[in-house]
Amino acid sequence: MTSITSVSGSDDNALQSSFRTLDQCNKGECLRLQDLVAQPAFGEHDEEVTLRLKELGFLPGTTMTVLGYGFLGRDPISVKVSGTKFALRRTEASKLVVTTLEAQA
Amino acid sequence: MSDFIRFALVGNPNCGKTSIFNHLTGARAKVANYPGVTVERRLGPITGISENVELVDLPGTYSLHVSSLDEKVARDMILGQLAGEAPPDVLVAVVDATNLRLGLRLVLELEKLGRPMMLALNQVDAAKRRGIKIDTEGLAAAIGIPVIETVALRRQGIAALKDAIAQAAELHKGRTTQVISDDQAQRTESVESLYHRIEGLMNANVEIPADRTNWQDRLDRLVMHPVAGMALLFVVLLTVFQAVFAWATPAVDLIDGGFTGLGELVATTLPDGILKNFIVDGLIAGVGGVVVFLPQIIILFFFILLMEDSGYLTRAAFLLDRPMRGVGLSGRSFIPLLSSFACAVPGIMSTRTVPDPRERAIAIMVAPLMTCSARLPVYTLIIAAFIPNDTVFGFFNLQGLTLFALYIAGIVSAALVAWVLRLRNTREEYPLLLELPAFRWPSAYHLFMGLRERTWVFLRRVGTIILALSVVLWALSTFPAPPVGAVGPAIEYSFAGQIGRFMQPLFEPMGFTWQMCIALIPAMAAREVAVSALATVYAVGGDSVEMALGQTLGSSWGLPVALAYLAWFVYAPQCLATIAVVRRETNSAAATTFFTVYLFGLAYLAAVLTYQIATALLG
Repeated sequence: MTSITSVSGSDDNALQSSFRTLDQCNKGECLRLQDLVAQPAFGEHDEEVTLRLKELGFLPGTTMTVLGYGFLGRDPISVKVSGTKFALRRTEASKLVVTTLEAQA
Repeated sequence: MSDFIRFALVGNPNCGKTSIFNHLTGARAKVANYPGVTVERRLGPITGISENVELVDLPGTYSLHVSSLDEKVARDMILGQLAGEAPPDVLVAVVDATNLRLGLRLVLELEKLGRPMMLALNQVDAAKRRGIKIDTEGLAAAIGIPVIETVALRRQGIAALKDAIAQAAELHKGRTTQVISDDQAQRTESVESLYHRIEGLMNANVEIPADRTNWQDRLDRLVMHPVAGMALLFVVLLTVFQAVFAWATPAVDLIDGGFTGLGELVATTLPDGILKNFIVDGLIAGVGGVVVFLPQIIILFFFILLMEDSGYLTRAAFLLDRPMRGVGLSGRSFIPLLSSFACAVPGIMSTRTVPDPRERAIAIMVAPLMTCSARLPVYTLIIAAFIPNDTVFGFFNLQGLTLFALYIAGIVSAALVAWVLRLRNTREEYPLLLELPAFRWPSAYHLFMGLRERTWVFLRRVGTIILALSVVLWALSTFPAPPVGAVGPAIEYSFAGQIGRFMQPLFEPMGFTWQMCIALIPAMAAREVAVSALATVYAVGGDSVEMALGQTLGSSWGLPVALAYLAWFVYAPQCLATIAVVRRETNSAAATTFFTVYLFGLAYLAAVLTYQIATALLG
């Protein structure tokens, strides 16, 4: 479903840890956003969704924490990005390519 | 045009804009719709300033690159592109100090437009408590606009904000404000570079301590827990419904008594004749029959505002998103559908916050299937007359169970209809992307202003559309007058009576009598009018109309007919106000026709099936 071919790994950490998309991550994980990729499910709105995600602060380089999941099928996902909490569906989350951050003290 | 200097409040959703608006304008603000759309526009003069200044509160927005009808109105207003609206002379950007990045992003985007602007840095108290240190003067110098610290919930900084507004108004005098074209508003800077500037601003002027788990996070862990959170939401909703139907009763009785008293007073004062008949049965009964719902609407909106202001409502939307998606809706449709339990009209109006146009269309189509409070009088009358007041399974009351079943029938039908409508659509998705704002204590003043506004909007509609409809339906039920020597009730001979008799063969398969058909006509004004119409056609009078009517119905209808009548009211769009608001919201005659036809079709089908099955089972 997700292609991560367009990842432009700019961060050094990225080389050590494997790339995943946010929908594959677990509750409590601290992550660094590496890239935003296309998600065909959004059709022609995909670029707008990318733009809106960026405008809300989902920019490559930012760190985020997975707070929890919704009622069914671990969907939606709640995350904290630079102090602000957001609810994302798995579809949006699959646009966000992340790497694991070393556990913070 | 107007000699007011116009200031516009712009900001992210949940930044406290409306609180600031309420404090700046006090009780003199007016709510109206923007021309052509039903997004509400709050406008009011700012008091205590020498210049004539008016303030308009724009819908909350994250960006000028819009993603919902609400955001589009905000953008068009800022640019001055909304037809019939003067462009704002000065922008007042409101930024939540605990959520600076997101707010500043909008501010820097707005700044490019070149409109004079100032910044209200709201909730500085909450920011201080979290250890966030902001150099306000440094920020002001860096962005190049005045920055005023406020705590809207406690009225702090409002005077300073007024001073800044007065100064800006002074500066503006004698200038004219231009409309900004799309080309001029075109963005040249990338999101990345804009955020880069924000990081620079923040590094120089803001100190944010490392993020620690606080009570907010702990509360979220409970509230958004897949199981515990869902259970909590269920309890909350149950409490809201309990409150809407139990707490409202004294106030409803009071209003009902007031209108009845007024009707009697007029009836004894005026001479008999058409004028008295018009005032008592047309105006007072018609308008009174709708105003009676005001307490329930106020209580429901009280809870909705409470949940909204505290930040709980978005958590509810989060929890319900996945279950609702199963039928083609999303968590964002939860609020409109919840409002529809009081009345579908405000429910349908609030679908404008739903970004996906197809989801919005579906939410509008199914909103009237949520059992609105207007159906209650009809349900209670028929249930009391036909369903025995027995206890089943130990502690369930059979009448209560029937009422509950009718609510469930509406919700399940809404889910089915939404699911079917979604099948027709392509599977292209829209994002949820919901900000979960920080929890905070709701302010009593803000709640009061919100309720006052809802009440005013409702009463204005009563005074216009509903009043006009009452008059039309009164005329239909009154003219022509019965011939001399007629024995039956007057309505039998009226246009409504003739239409009812004409309709009756069509309603034969569900066992409806012509009296029942007649009652359906005035009930188009509001469903509960069916009760008084039934009383009229069955010529029941006296002090306790409901009791007497219940007995009459109990002896003249069979149980299958009564159940079929209930089934009809679950579905039928017996409400011209709803049809009118669907027309305005969808702006499409085809959609409105579909809405009306499909609901009447479902009602017909449900009533026929109920009647036939009940007859077969009960003999």
